[in-house]
Amino acid sequence: MKTIFAIAGVVIKELYRRKDFYVLFALTALITLAAAAVHFFHEPNIIRYVKDLCLLLIWIAAWIITIATTARQIPMERESRTIFPLLAKPVTRGQVVLGKFFGCWLASGLALVIFYLFFIVVTGSREHYWPLLEYFQAILLQWIMLGMLTAMTLLGSIIFAAPSSTVTIVLIAIFSIWFLSPHLNVVALHNPEPMRDILYAAYFILPHLEFFDLRERLVGDWGLVPWSACGLAALYAAAYTGLFLLLTWLGFRRQNLST
Amino acid sequence: MIDSSEFFLYENPDESTVSPTAMTAILQTQKLRVEFRTRELRQPVKIALQGLDLQVNAGEVFGFLGPNGAGKTTTMNVLLGFVPPTSGSASLFGIDVRQPIARQRIGYLPELTYYYKFLTAEELLRFYAKIFSLSRAETDKRIPELLKLVELEHAAKRPIKSYSKGMQQRVGLAQALINNPDLLILDEPTSGLDPLGRMKVREIIQRLKNEGKTVFFSSHELGEVETVCDRVAIIHQGELKTVGRVGTIMGNYPTLEKAFLNIVGYQPQTAP
Amino acid sequence: MKKVSPGYWLALLLAACFTLATLFVPRAGWWNNAPDAAHWNGRSASDNAFRMLLGDGRKLFANEFFTMADVYFHSGYYPSMFDAHESELDVAAGAQGKAGDSDSTSDDFLGPPKNWIDALGRNFKPNKHTHLDAGGASGNLKTSSVEEILPWLKLSAEMDPQKIETYTVGAYFLRTSLHQPNQAEEFLREGLRNNPRNCEILFALGRLYYDNYHDSNRARNVWLLALKKWNALDAKSKADEKLVSEEITVNLGNLERAAGNDAQAIHWLEAAQKVSPAPAALQKQIDEIKAKMAEPSSSPTNSAR
Repeated sequence: MKTIFAIAGVVIKELYRRKDFYVLFALTALITLAAAAVHFFHEPNIIRYVKDLCLLLIWIAAWIITIATTARQIPMERESRTIFPLLAKPVTRGQVVLGKFFGCWLASGLALVIFYLFFIVVTGSREHYWPLLEYFQAILLQWIMLGMLTAMTLLGSIIFAAPSSTVTIVLIAIFSIWFLSPHLNVVALHNPEPMRDILYAAYFILPHLEFFDLRERLVGDWGLVPWSACGLAALYAAAYTGLFLLLTWLGFRRQNLST
Repeated sequence: MIDSSEFFLYENPDESTVSPTAMTAILQTQKLRVEFRTRELRQPVKIALQGLDLQVNAGEVFGFLGPNGAGKTTTMNVLLGFVPPTSGSASLFGIDVRQPIARQRIGYLPELTYYYKFLTAEELLRFYAKIFSLSRAETDKRIPELLKLVELEHAAKRPIKSYSKGMQQRVGLAQALINNPDLLILDEPTSGLDPLGRMKVREIIQRLKNEGKTVFFSSHELGEVETVCDRVAIIHQGELKTVGRVGTIMGNYPTLEKAFLNIVGYQPQTAP
Repeated sequence: MKKVSPGYWLALLLAACFTLATLFVPRAGWWNNAPDAAHWNGRSASDNAFRMLLGDGRKLFANEFFTMADVYFHSGYYPSMFDAHESELDVAAGAQGKAGDSDSTSDDFLGPPKNWIDALGRNFKPNKHTHLDAGGASGNLKTSSVEEILPWLKLSAEMDPQKIETYTVGAYFLRTSLHQPNQAEEFLREGLRNNPRNCEILFALGRLYYDNYHDSNRARNVWLLALKKWNALDAKSKADEKLVSEEITVNLGNLERAAGNDAQAIHWLEAAQKVSPAPAALQKQIDEIKAKMAEPSSSPTNSAR
């Protein structure tokens, strides 16, 4: 475990020494504050559209940070040849995969916490209302989802040649899944066989990200999600994460690395 | 199907992997064969190593020579676990190279030295020390010693991306020595270095030899090999051509270079 | 010859482009057969940034923003385009006597969960029909106020100033739930400036004067103006806005009835009957007024009338 966390530590250092996070945070902050500065009909307490916008920006920024950070881990190690001094140590390829996974996941979690702190300060200053437990639940579920996304991106980085292609393909895939997968069962009903079966299969196979998206509940002040449901969602994410990591390890261990 | 030993690191390797005959040999290959298959159709399989038998004993400085494309780097890649052998075996300290624990007591300096550019030299060494499970106290003691040895104390807190090539090479040497290895594998250690840098590397190799360490390195600088090595092996087109003491291989040739050229079958072109 | 830096050439090129643009754009109307730029399409002369940037495409956003206001009114409990389509199919199936898979009532578009994924997913999104003006999801009027829909209505109005319901819906909530009749009046007047011939906005304005300012005279005048504008419409527009005229005449009738002008009240209610989908209900009101008129009255005021 020491090795895994040592590798994870390097990934976290890389995140806060690169500019990506700061640029995205600055953009999110700027857009949110600009939106909050507008007054509609001289009503000073309107806040839900600001919450909605800020949460959407956080969601997108978290995806970009996670995918961009993860997609370049193993390919850049190979391209910059830092993988050789690493694997020349008593480190297994499985430990490298796990280390990169934990590093990217923890890094994205840290970024998420900072984004949400900003969100809580901005919205709380206008609402004078802090449902902290609901916010914690939202952060937790989103972080769990980012774990799934990290594992998926790691797998993509093993399959595709360049980090840029991994980023593009994973972003397109994740947007499509986010938008379509909750509704594929409904779409399937309106299609003839065999398309109906294919769509149903896709519905059950593709990961469902709506289990981790509490934005509508936060904006609409719907209160806490039952913790049992959160637990089930976490198990669901853990299953997919484990599957993606296993596939990543199987792919990575087969790759010949020549100096 | 899935070999869990590739995933988890064994603290105590299985005794069955330790060959009784290899007790004195630090590094050993037996009939090592490596083939590379390309994805293109009707392309012949490339044979990088053909049944290589090599043995490096404890405490010696061993030079591994050969022209470009001879199979030196492939041999090192197999020893370090980057490339699996097609057939034959390779072991370090009697442990099969496919087991990660085989690398616990080695240090490796690649030919092209690239390290995490966003880390400082100190952070890099600390990272590798954690991988070797060195204690905090041991790490805090080793790092200043190594930085002094490679003359990087003044740049220890600067990110590696600000280093010159020579400085990066010295960082590489420092990370190869972080765990006080019993076997050092160096791939072209003086490549790209100025004469002062090359002298420094030679001094370090000599010092390690005096401490009883084993050094296995490849180089094109035959003058240095002649000076530093106890034994050399010459490999050409994947085959081991000769192995032995420098003096024995030189024979009647005045320099190791002339002996080398003769062994690899170099025919000088006669003027028309 | 001294070598000029590429940056200078780039700066020169940018300056030339800018100069040409400022020269030609005001004169650009000639290829559009317009006498001058002001008559071209007005886009470049618009003071509305969205209009300038997006042109007529901004109207697509207006519909989306209006829908967002509705989404916010229901605190996020709203059918997606997939749910809406399924609801329509279920309603259609129900109309043909076929049983649908889900409950086809308009209140519950989700229906029973279709599978375990659907069942689990409902925990993580809004799952109950609520209205913001009744406290929303939390039932707490302090933290859930209908003012939250206003930004979307304002944006919708910016995107499409010709979308009438934006003004009428916005004004309704401003004057009823939010008790801001002056803001509502300002919003309606903005709508009138953008839609001077529209009677629906005038009707809404009249409601504001009557309900909030209790100014019957002003309300009457505005409603009469609205009716005048409705009468000035062509036949097709009249048919499209038939219900608006019914609302105007019914409200005029109620206004006159409250003011004691029974004859006028009957006149308006009879006019409303001609376009009303429920003439029987109006007839009942007319009969009540006539009955009251026929009664011997003890009030001197009524006798004077």
